[in-house]
Amino acid sequence: MTRIAILRRMKLIRAFEAALAARRDHGFQLLSTGEEAVAVGLCAALGTDDQLLTGGRSIGFALARGLDPGCVMAELLGKVAGPNRGRAGRGHLSWPEAGFFGAHAVVGGNISVAAGVALARLMTGAPGIAAVVFGDGACGAGSLHETLNIAALWRLPLLFVCNNNQISVSTPRGAALAAASIADLARAHGIPAQTVDGMDAEAVAAAASHAAEAVRQGEGPAFIECVSHRFAPHSTAARETRTAAQLQDIRSRCPIDALARALLASAEVGKSALERMDDDVADQVRRAMGFAEASPYPDAAEALADVV
Amino acid sequence: MSFERSATQRLFYREAIARALREKMAADPSVFVMGQDVGAFGGAYLEFDGLFAAFGPARVRDTPVAEAAMIGIALGAGAAGLRPVVSITYMDFIMLGLDPLVNYGAKLRYKTAGRLTAPLLLKTTAGAKGQGVAHSQCIEAWLMGVPGLKLVAPATPDDAYGLMIAALEEPGPVVFIDHKKLFPGAGEVAVAPHRTPLGKARIIRPGTDVTITTHSYMTRVALDAAALLQIQGLSCEVIDLRTLLPLDLDLIAASVARTGALVTLEEGQLTCGVGAEVAAQVQRVLGPLKVHRIGALAAPVSSNPVLERACIPDAARVAAEVEFATRRSGR
Repeated sequence: MTRIAILRRMKLIRAFEAALAARRDHGFQLLSTGEEAVAVGLCAALGTDDQLLTGGRSIGFALARGLDPGCVMAELLGKVAGPNRGRAGRGHLSWPEAGFFGAHAVVGGNISVAAGVALARLMTGAPGIAAVVFGDGACGAGSLHETLNIAALWRLPLLFVCNNNQISVSTPRGAALAAASIADLARAHGIPAQTVDGMDAEAVAAAASHAAEAVRQGEGPAFIECVSHRFAPHSTAARETRTAAQLQDIRSRCPIDALARALLASAEVGKSALERMDDDVADQVRRAMGFAEASPYPDAAEALADVV
Repeated sequence: MSFERSATQRLFYREAIARALREKMAADPSVFVMGQDVGAFGGAYLEFDGLFAAFGPARVRDTPVAEAAMIGIALGAGAAGLRPVVSITYMDFIMLGLDPLVNYGAKLRYKTAGRLTAPLLLKTTAGAKGQGVAHSQCIEAWLMGVPGLKLVAPATPDDAYGLMIAALEEPGPVVFIDHKKLFPGAGEVAVAPHRTPLGKARIIRPGTDVTITTHSYMTRVALDAAALLQIQGLSCEVIDLRTLLPLDLDLIAASVARTGALVTLEEGQLTCGVGAEVAAQVQRVLGPLKVHRIGALAAPVSSNPVLERACIPDAARVAAEVEFATRRSGR
């Protein structure tokens, strides 16, 4: 992915989530505003044969993976044009044919599932790796520790990605995890691990590409920790617990602004091109919203579809 | 030809399980087994005996003691195209893996609108046999209210074989519940490959005065009780449920319509138990009915032999309760 493509994808996520959150009927959403660099950087390292699994904060990752924004918006708004006919929403959005094996909104719940997806690749010789994203909030859960052990033992083609936004609903990472470094949790199992600046999309892309390449070469699992900041409260329904000063400091580290400044400074892109990019992205989001709005809700009889 | 069709072999219950797995693993390279001590050790009850030698460590995988991850990994592998069999040594330990089973596996087909399913076979062993409060429980009723799951509890070697074969052809997760006291038992199993369809109960003793529904090891207790009651002139029809989810309501209700009385028997708890569900469903079809439910005492199951016996229904207690229930209902 070029730096310009990375910037554009991050802008799409930001504008998409803003348009979603502005709707009165947006439902219950977990936004990734501020964390776009983790999503786009990681997905820059994944290929078509790979599968991505995420937690419930899935929107940024789904768009970064290249899922059609109109279909994703339809899913989030509960419309049948969504890849899961509007049943899954943000918490459980999936499109395995597009390399997005899916979100799973139980914290830590997708980690062992991802190891199973990796095991299937190992046992059948199918190409590609599995990558799983989880937050710092999942790092105290047994599912991560059990899966790290088995993934290392069986040398599974699995890339662990901790999106460490440093706060779990209201609980700071330091109040929830005893380990000084989250990456050390992987190292204890002999899994190579790296910590990167999750507000720097290129740094995330470089670390993810390096780690994914090792996994592809059959060297077993790898782990990257991306230290990021969430700009918004935990969910669109949650109270903000951080002070205005803290939020101002956090938002000053915007990954989109940082990359745009770098591109301007290196003259890779001009001001007018950036404005055109914003217009293009706004237009793309408008079309996505129009597509979603045109799609109907499911018939109530679908409540019993695909149960067993 | 008719000789071949009727040919059977005498197998221990554990051998019937191993035979079904051996046949399915030979026919389908996507079938594999993972669990604690399932490899060279052959499983706690030798129910995986011979598989490791035949198929090797890649397809018969020993795991660490990590039930939550084991079930989650098996579901992920199933969703990604394999057909995993995960062994949870004792049913009590499925509690450690209920999150992936219930929150992921049972809902996967629904939540993906059919894009993914998780064809998992979770095999686990229930029942009291001297191992104490956390290794004896029958908690199958907990799972009966989970849409997306299927639940089988075979009582005979032939059904253990046939339901294992059928369960390994299901598109979604199936929980296969065997029982510690069934493993030493033997029975006739047809030599030819065959399957026992899910969702079909079986009348294992015809009778006219009362219907007793039960499953797994309690089928033997019910048959013993029915033999005692025959001496007293009470004719019991005994139904082996075989599949608990979905229940074979047609067969059960037809039997109760004939006999006019229903007694349910299970080794687990009565409150919100299998019998409570059977009774409610039958009454929805047949209307108000005299029902009596028999199960464990509302207490933990001790490893102490006196206390374990006191807790779990036996033939004498079942006979006395059936006799009391049918007398109360006017027979």
